[in-house]
This record gives sequence, structure tokens and C-alpha cells, in this order.
Amino acid sequence: MATDALKAQVRSKWQDAFKRINSNNPGITGLMAFSEVGHAVVHEETTQHLFSKQSWSHTLAFVKPINIKEDPPPKRADITTARRDFEVVNYCRRLPSDWCLDDDYMFSDEIRQKFYLVREDIDSYLSDYELSKDLSHISRLILRLKEWYDAWTPPEELGATIRNAFVLVFQTQLYSSLGPTFVKGFKDLIASTFPSSDPDIPSQTLDASTWVIFETLGFLDRYENIIASAGYEHIEAHVLEACAGQWETPMMDTLRTWMSEKVVPWLLLMYGRDANTTDEARALLSTIGSRFDFHVAKTLCDLRTREIFDIIVDYPDSAGALQDLKECLQRVDQRGALVKSLRKANRKRLLHPGAETRLILTQYVATIKCLRIVDPPGVLLFKVADPIRRERPDTIRCIVSNLVGDDDSGDSLVDESEPIVPLQQADTEDYTDPNWEPEPVDAGPDFRTNKPSDVISTLVSIYDSRDLFVKELQVLLAQRLLAITDDSTEKVEKERRNIEILKIRFGEAALQVCEVMLKDMTDSKRIDGHVQSQKASIVHPTIISRQFWPMLESSEIVMPGQFQILQDQYAKEFSTFKPDKRLRWLPHLGTVHLELQLEDRMLEVDVPPLEAAFIELFSEKNIRTIDELINAVGSVDKSAAFKALLAWVDLGVLKEDEPGTFRLLEVAEEAGPARDSSSRIAPTTEQDLAPVTSLQQQQAEQMKVYWKFIEGMLTNLGQLPLDRIQTMLRFAPGYDQTIEQLAGFMEAARREGLVGVKDGLWKLTPR
Amino acid sequence: MKVTVKHWHAVAQWRWDTGNEDDSGDGDDVCGICRVAYEGCCPACKVPGDDCPLIWGECSHVFHMHCLLKWIGTAASKQQCPMDRRTWVTAERKVAKTHS
Repeated sequence: MATDALKAQVRSKWQDAFKRINSNNPGITGLMAFSEVGHAVVHEETTQHLFSKQSWSHTLAFVKPINIKEDPPPKRADITTARRDFEVVNYCRRLPSDWCLDDDYMFSDEIRQKFYLVREDIDSYLSDYELSKDLSHISRLILRLKEWYDAWTPPEELGATIRNAFVLVFQTQLYSSLGPTFVKGFKDLIASTFPSSDPDIPSQTLDASTWVIFETLGFLDRYENIIASAGYEHIEAHVLEACAGQWETPMMDTLRTWMSEKVVPWLLLMYGRDANTTDEARALLSTIGSRFDFHVAKTLCDLRTREIFDIIVDYPDSAGALQDLKECLQRVDQRGALVKSLRKANRKRLLHPGAETRLILTQYVATIKCLRIVDPPGVLLFKVADPIRRERPDTIRCIVSNLVGDDDSGDSLVDESEPIVPLQQADTEDYTDPNWEPEPVDAGPDFRTNKPSDVISTLVSIYDSRDLFVKELQVLLAQRLLAITDDSTEKVEKERRNIEILKIRFGEAALQVCEVMLKDMTDSKRIDGHVQSQKASIVHPTIISRQFWPMLESSEIVMPGQFQILQDQYAKEFSTFKPDKRLRWLPHLGTVHLELQLEDRMLEVDVPPLEAAFIELFSEKNIRTIDELINAVGSVDKSAAFKALLAWVDLGVLKEDEPGTFRLLEVAEEAGPARDSSSRIAPTTEQDLAPVTSLQQQQAEQMKVYWKFIEGMLTNLGQLPLDRIQTMLRFAPGYDQTIEQLAGFMEAARREGLVGVKDGLWKLTPR
Repeated sequence: MKVTVKHWHAVAQWRWDTGNEDDSGDGDDVCGICRVAYEGCCPACKVPGDDCPLIWGECSHVFHMHCLLKWIGTAASKQQCPMDRRTWVTAERKVAKTHS
């Protein structure tokens, strides 16, 4: 029986409740309104009856957790009474969260205490799962949990409050009992519900009811991340499987179709379960759908970023992949990652010492073409190109020789079908253009707008000025023109054609010099024709305008004997023809066709002039030392002289009896490696290309001149800092080196011991 | 041994015969007006040589013909050689033969 204290307590609570139900209305009007809702009239006796244990216990039976393993379904008392009891309690709002209905009964405690029953089940199922890794254990566990849940749920008639409280307590208990093993198993279970991309393996489909169970148990909210990540992983796996190495066609559409066919139905179960109509479903799916779509794009983008180097190698067979990449990059902001990945791949796979410059350029051209598809404004290209352009000293030469079709090896860098257009200048931006667009946000400060232009323009734009290209082109052309030995107009015409093409690209003015060089070729021929008609000569010179040819290797050699006579005769004839001009021979250039009459054999050879000069000297005297020979032709580099002599030794005409002394073999010696002259039909290719000094040599040559200035400066002024030297050198005519180049030069001078540096001040080393 | 030259493809540079016989050095003589080497061409021309010939004066000064004619054409020149301010007289013996 209730004690006095309880009665007092109930009474005071009752007063509170009465006030609340009466809504502070006068008298009992509020209470009257309350009764009208159709409930029993609440009076003190009823309340006391309610709180008396006997009748309340019937009611409590509805909410008492039972052990479904053993207990039979509980006998249920009259549900209407119970409902009325609960309603009263509800209305009185005497139900705090921990459900103190009675002094010795706590509903939530009851659940907690009984939860060990559930936990036992969970543990047994999970240990089964851990042993067998069979997902059916997990699904059975979930079904079992549902049974527990159903058995313990208070009947609906008891109102929402108690149910909510029950759900809260039950789920809290449940989640704390489910460890990481379950999470993993659950994830696998979800993943197994995806339609497999392999049609042979039937996927484990969970019907809608399973999802209802998930929801009932609160898994969908609790494990939403896990479900989503299972989805993401499924997508990743599919994308990798379907797209890796598949570059021919764009995969994005295929992936989207796959998404809508396979993934969306799954998404509907998960996220669209509350939807009644298609529109509602669409609305529900739109957020999650776009998240998944984004994930597809991101995965594909990551994949393509990893593959980018090979994609470029495969271009143009990989156009599809590039389209994908473009589309993905618009959706996913991964441009930085792409640049980083490509630069890394380039450094690792392309820019190593083993790679030919030509290969690097080919890859670079492919890069240009590919990145132009991915990113038309060229920002990506600009960022990637940087290391490539600085890598090799012979890059320009390689490009130029390719431009003039000098490459024997394989395909041209330039697409033949691409129309030849003038090189594009970096033009200033036209802000009045209604279609003007600002530079892309990720463009660096030194980004030069590169309007979609042809490959050559982009190649040339690698370097800050095209003068370098033109100079290199000039050197190359000079080499090729001087190498033309026979009077074949064809070859000259071919060069002319090349130059004409290049003129379109580089502009008329830049190639004016080349024009003059070509004109020299034809003029020489005309002059030669005239001279020959006056007085036939076996000399057929190419007469060049020295201001317009690249610097030629200077040589001091004097042709001996009959060569001298031939030269003089021709020069005289020339002066008669052009009285105001004179010829100045460059005796080390060209080729001589000789016939050697030896005692036992005849030899016809094409040789460079130096070799001809030497053999001429041997016709006077059979045995000569190398020093003697060098003196006879003026000054010549000893190694060059040696090389020339060895060429004759190779032909079996000379023999080196003792080091530095050569003997003419009037009679062939068997032992000597005498070779048929036919093996020397084209001996000149290499030598003939050599005489034109390369651009670098020219620069070095130039610096020698400036060295005189520097020397003078340092002698007169003592120590000088580098920038002071640079400033003073600027006064020198034609000085165009940057301070970095000067620093390099000074460093070289220091290594040679000419100068010393201390605290940034340079001074001459006293000799 | 007898060496017979059958064919010689030689390379040579042409120089203007400016009267300076010591053309051994590489020092490029330049036109006093445009400061471009004689073997180059005047600023108005693109092709050197016969298309942009030199002109020799009695005063021994030599210029690109185009440069000098342009100078003579201005009123300020007073028909004088720009180097020594003597009245310009073209050295006939050279210029007559310039034309090819």
C-alpha cells in the first residue's frame, strides 16, 4: 500500500498536474475541456488507483522487456485500461525521460538490464561471421535484432512518448553493443547488394523489406556514412575496372548510363524510401545523386591523372580519355593535381639523360596537343612545359632541324595536315572585345596568353624570343648549303622551298638573311658560269656575302702548289668580271675531287681541302713530318692535321712510319689497310657540317672579345662587383649578355685561374 | 706521284675593293653614313652586293651609294662629302665599272 509520504507526494504532484490540465482557467473549466476529449474524468481516486501496484502491473506488462527465447508472449490485460492509464500519465506530462513511473520500477533500467539477452545473440552471430566471413550471418543477425525489437516495443496504443523513449534506449544499447566487426560486416553486406559488374555472379539482392528493417533499427541514419562509403567504393572499383587503360572512347557517358541503370535503383532503396511519387524520389535523390556523380567524376579524374603520361604517349589514340579528363576537371577541381602528376611523370620518365632530345620534343608536342584538348586556354600547358623547355641546350636545334625537314628519323613533329600559319605574337589583350575573357584563375603571373595556336607557335613560344630560332636556323641552313658540293640546283631549290614555308611562320623580315644566303648560292652559280665561259677552271666556288652568313670557322691555312695557282687565277677572272669586288678564299671549306697517279695505281677521291693540301705537299717530297706539313699550310690545328693525314693512311696512300712522320706509298703495301676508294664516296657529310660554328661556340667566341674589356676594367679599377662589370660592358658595342650569362662566364674564368672572387668582388689573379 | 685536281668546290667571300689593300684583318669597314659594313647593305636595301653598291668619292671616302645619294638629296648636305665637307665628286673610274 502506498505510504503516507507517497500519498502526500502524489497529492502535491496532482495539484501541479491539475493546474497544468486546467490551463490556469477559473474553477475547473479547463479541466472540463480536457474531459471533453473523451477521457475518463480524472479524479483523485482514479489516480490513486492508477498508482496502486496491482492495477499498474497489468499496464506495465505491456512495456516489460521479455526474453523471446524463453518467455511466452505475455498475457496482456485489457488494453483499453492500459491505454487510459498511459494517456492520463501522458497528459499529465509526468513522464520524464528516465521514466520514473514507480518508485521501484524504471523502464529504461529494465531494458538495460535485459539487454544482455540481445548482446548474447549479437556476440554469437558476430563470432560466427568472424569465423566464416559469411555475410548471411550478418543478415540473420539483423533479422534477429528486429525480432527483439518487435518483442520489446510497447504497443502503438500506448502513445508515441513511450515508444520514442523505448526506441532511444533500445538503439543506444544496441549501438554500444555493435562493435567494429559488425560495422565491417554491415558494410560488406551493403556492398554485396550492389549489382556486380560481372554478370556471372548473381548479386545478393536485398528486398525492400530488409531496408525497412534497417530503418526500423535506425541503421540507416546511424550507418549512413558506411552505406555511402560502400557505395563510393563500389563506384571506384567499377570505374577502375571499366576505365583503366581504356582511352579510345570517352567513358563518362558509359559510366553515367551504368549509374542510372545499376546504382540509382540501389540509391532509391536507401535514400528514396520515403518517396511516394517519382517527383519526390527525384527530389530526394538529387543531393545524394549529385554526390555520387561527383564521386564518379573524381574517381575517373584521379585515374586519368595517374595515367596522364601514358595517355599523352598514346595520343591521338587516347582522345577519348582526354575528353573525359576535360569533363571531369570541370566538375572536380583537380587541375593542380594533374599538373603535379604530369610534371612528376615527365621528370621521372622523360627528362632523364637517356632520352633523346627528339623524343622529348615529340612527347612535348603530344603534350601540347593533349593539353590543348583538356584546357584550351593553355594554363596547364604553360605550367607543365616549364621544365621541358629548360632541359636541353640542343632543343632549338632539334626543333629547327625538324622544321626544315632535316630529320631522317621517323615522323615529323609537325602535323603535315596542320595549316601553316604565321607565328603568333603574344598580343596585348583587347579589352574592347565583347568576347574578352579574363585569364583563368589558376594562371600564374607570368602566364602568357596563348591563343589556340598551332604546335610550332607553341614550340617556338617555349623560348622568350624567336631570334634564337632564327639564328639557329641560319646556322643550320649554312651548314646545309655549304654541304652542297655538286652544282645541283635541286638541293638549293629544296632549301628555298623550306625557307619559303618558314617565312610564313617567322615572317619575311626575320628570314631576310636566309634569303640572301640562298641568293648567294644562285649568284655564285651565275658568276661561275660567266667566269668559266671566259676562262675554264676546275674551281667552282660558292661565293658568300659574309655579313649574312653565320660566323664561319676561321682558318689560316694557305693552299700549297697548284691549288694556290688555281685560286689566284679564279680570283683574277672574278675581278675582271666584277671590278669593284675581290674574292677572299675560305680555303678550309669545300671539297676537292682529286686524281692521284701513283706508280702502281690510280686513285680518285673527294677530300676536304686540308687533306688535298697535304697530299699536294707529298707530291714534292715523299717523307714529311707532321710539323713540317703544318708549317707548309700556315697554321692549322694539330689534331685537325692529324685527322687529315690519318684519312690518307686509311686510303692506303700514306703510312705513318714513326709517330709524326708520314711516308707516301708509291707502291701499295699489302699490310696497310688499303681500301678501295669506293668506300669513300661520301666522306664529307660530317666534316662539311662542322665548319659553321654553332650558336654556343659563337657566343663563346663573342665572350672572348668581352674578356678583353673585363680584363682592362679589372686592371684599371681593381676589384669590381658583378653588376658593375655588367653595367660597364653594356657600353661595349653589341653586348647582349644577361648578368646570369656573365656570371657563368666569370665563373668559367675563375676556374681557369684568370680571376678570383671574394665577397662578391672580382679581381684579376696576379700572374 | 702526280696530283690532278679534277674539280674543286671552294668557298670564298666577296669583298668590295675599297682601295684599302690591307684587307687581311677582319676589321669590318663600315659605311660612314649608316654604320653598316660595306658588305652589308644600306638600311633601305635587303640584298647586299650589286643591288646595293658602293660609291667612291674623289676624296677617298666610300659609302653605300644609296646612303650617299640620300644625303646629297637633302638641302643640308650642300653637296658635300659628309666626312670631310669637301664637295662630293664621285670617283669616275670605279663607279663606271660598278654596273654589271
